[in-house]
Amino acid sequence: MSLFKNLRYRFMKELGAPALMGVSRAAKRRSRRRPNPNFGPPLKCTGRLKEIMGRHYFLSHYAKGAKPVAWVTSGAPVELLRAFDFYTFYPENHGALCGAQKLGPELCAAAEERGYHQDLCSYARIDLGTFFSGRSPVGKLPKPDLLFASNNICQTVVYWYRALVHYWKVPLIVFDTPYNFEEMTDTEVSYMVRQLEEMIPVLEQVSRRRFNHRRFQDIVRLALDASLTWGEVLTTMRARPSPMTIFDAFGHLAPIVSLRGLPVAWDYYRILLDELKERVEGGVGAIKNERKRLMWDNIAIWYKMRDLSNLFAEHGMNFVTATYTNAWAETAAYLDEARPFESMAKAYSLVILNNSLNHRLRLMERLVGEYEVDGLVIHSARSCKPYSVGQYDLKRLLMERLGVPSVVIEADITDFRAYSEEQVRTRLEAFFEAVEG
Amino acid sequence: MLQDSPLPRKAYIWQQRQTYGRRLFGVFPAQYPREILWAMNVLPVEIWDPPLEVSCVGAHLQPYICSVVRLGLELILQGECDDLDGLLFPHTCDSIQNLASIVHDYVGLKKPSYFFYHPKAPYRDSSREYYLEQLRGLVSRLERQLGPLDPSELKLRVNQGQKVATVLEELYALHARGELCASNTEFYKVLRHGEYLHPDDFLPLLEGFMARSRGLASSGPAVILSGVLPNPPEILTLLDRLGVRVADDDLLSCSRRLLAPSSSAEDPFEALVERYFAMPPCTTKDSSVSERLDYLLQKVERSGARGVVFYLVKFCEPELFDVPQLTEEFRKRGLAALVIDSEVNQGLSGQLVTRAEAFVEMIS
Repeated sequence: MSLFKNLRYRFMKELGAPALMGVSRAAKRRSRRRPNPNFGPPLKCTGRLKEIMGRHYFLSHYAKGAKPVAWVTSGAPVELLRAFDFYTFYPENHGALCGAQKLGPELCAAAEERGYHQDLCSYARIDLGTFFSGRSPVGKLPKPDLLFASNNICQTVVYWYRALVHYWKVPLIVFDTPYNFEEMTDTEVSYMVRQLEEMIPVLEQVSRRRFNHRRFQDIVRLALDASLTWGEVLTTMRARPSPMTIFDAFGHLAPIVSLRGLPVAWDYYRILLDELKERVEGGVGAIKNERKRLMWDNIAIWYKMRDLSNLFAEHGMNFVTATYTNAWAETAAYLDEARPFESMAKAYSLVILNNSLNHRLRLMERLVGEYEVDGLVIHSARSCKPYSVGQYDLKRLLMERLGVPSVVIEADITDFRAYSEEQVRTRLEAFFEAVEG
Repeated sequence: MLQDSPLPRKAYIWQQRQTYGRRLFGVFPAQYPREILWAMNVLPVEIWDPPLEVSCVGAHLQPYICSVVRLGLELILQGECDDLDGLLFPHTCDSIQNLASIVHDYVGLKKPSYFFYHPKAPYRDSSREYYLEQLRGLVSRLERQLGPLDPSELKLRVNQGQKVATVLEELYALHARGELCASNTEFYKVLRHGEYLHPDDFLPLLEGFMARSRGLASSGPAVILSGVLPNPPEILTLLDRLGVRVADDDLLSCSRRLLAPSSSAEDPFEALVERYFAMPPCTTKDSSVSERLDYLLQKVERSGARGVVFYLVKFCEPELFDVPQLTEEFRKRGLAALVIDSEVNQGLSGQLVTRAEAFVEMIS
């Protein structure tokens, strides 16, 4: 690592980024949107969130050479990388950002031109398309020194990262988390603990830093605190009216995904939690007329967030929970600084997508009860097989067991070529009628 | 013993149950320790591409799920697995993983369902230990249904599995050198009998085929077939018609899992572990692209193939992800590559036939 680049990174972090954020804030103030009458007052924290994530992406331009850089999948045990001071970049988060800015098809097409099939995950196609085209809303992405993937969320990320190895020519570490078809066994825990231990020499070599167990424990503690606080943030949505919508939560998810294990994530969620508690105490709802409460299943449809948010709010319907946002809180309690490896093995292997569908069914039943859910919207996402295969059965069972009406939207997370406006509208109209009963 | 052409699949498996008291297990793709099932007097009957009209599966699976998974579930939903004694789901991909969950819990099939997880590459010391534990764990779960495993029977079946692999290796070598006088269609028809024949029958079938088919192959250009399985089988008849020899393959259902090298380990579990980790690289085991490329290039060199046909099942993510890098590397080396993706059992469209014909013209 170069001293000059390290100093430049620090300078940008302490002075460059705040200055840029200040300019950006001023520009935003000038171009503020007219408020939608169906919504309550916007969350004050949203500005802070944008600053944090903006700064994170801004610093990516100065990370190379100052810090070791790793590209990481959203479910990978990043705490271990933090102990080696990696700058971590999350291609899935970048994919969501591109999706929200409606850049999905354009970047996917750049990958498709190079032979990547349109049936493949669109996060992967966006990422590869960014590599081939050099286009991104956040500027040039930092070249990785290491790729770090875990198949606890899908096998796809490993196929995708194998492709990245081919193009970037850097090492790949895979955290292999056996699928929990039944209860997790000690054999599986030992296998995962061994893997984490085996990663240390590789990480030491790539980062040129020694592993410090005490520092690692502190990071695990920070990740636990941030994840638990994120869980508390979501719990505030049990209130009637809910102080935020799940569309807000999809955005506020970014720090727990991308900055987990860093103080900034925990600090941010404490501020957000305070604001939400204040709103609950004051009876301030995210939407003005919350008559019906809904649950969302699967990753967001990033390019339709605003439209769907407005449409549901118009009908007095608020999304108060989602299996997706819950995923970063669900297993947090397993994290334990006293037994960091074993606890990480459990926390990362027991996530929603690495468990049987019955596990998801029980979770959804619990969420329906705790959040007093009146209806369920299921996003059948072409990009995400582990999330989508089985949804038809879950829909049927939730109706049979709890009488919860639901609708399936066939779409994609970022590639809006797979979205049919007409079909979705027709289905949602029928759903609105069913929920209104 | 079967010498030439075995009984049709259905008749054969019922004969196995009646004659030898064998339990029948439906097994989904792809990698699993067959020797353990044989040793426990179970006949694994693999479910790759049942020839069915789809009528029920749409209530459970989206149209963008691959046809191997959709047809497998359709087979179960149409009651064709009702008489089986169990089902085994190896961890092959995200779709099969969730399919296992659907079948186990949501379709009302009262059969024992087993799940078999194999460690993913890049392999480390922990991978070997874990795989060994997985094998032992599978045995102990099966024993609850089937009674104790006889260690000497396992040793026998492991040896038999090695013998099958050795004969297949020889067959593939003859085929690659153009010393097997058999059409593409005949070759893969014989190979695919291994998806349900007991090794006591499969081995003599292979040996008989090899003895009868030694001889010079047609002199047309050679290609390598890569993908999941040789279906739609029309590709084989088309290549036969065009005088092209499939000199070797990199198919998940064929060479990638059938050509595991022999092991000298005394302990049968150790032998199974050694063989698993020595298997050819495979997308479903997360082998690296460079490893796959080297392996394919070896095949090209050995067989003198002039091109590679990627014959893919639509929506198969593990395969589709590697294709752009592999084709790019082949083209750099002056090798032709043809990419076809199709639903299984759907035949070849006129457009695909034209593309295949153009490809053959290019390499001829």
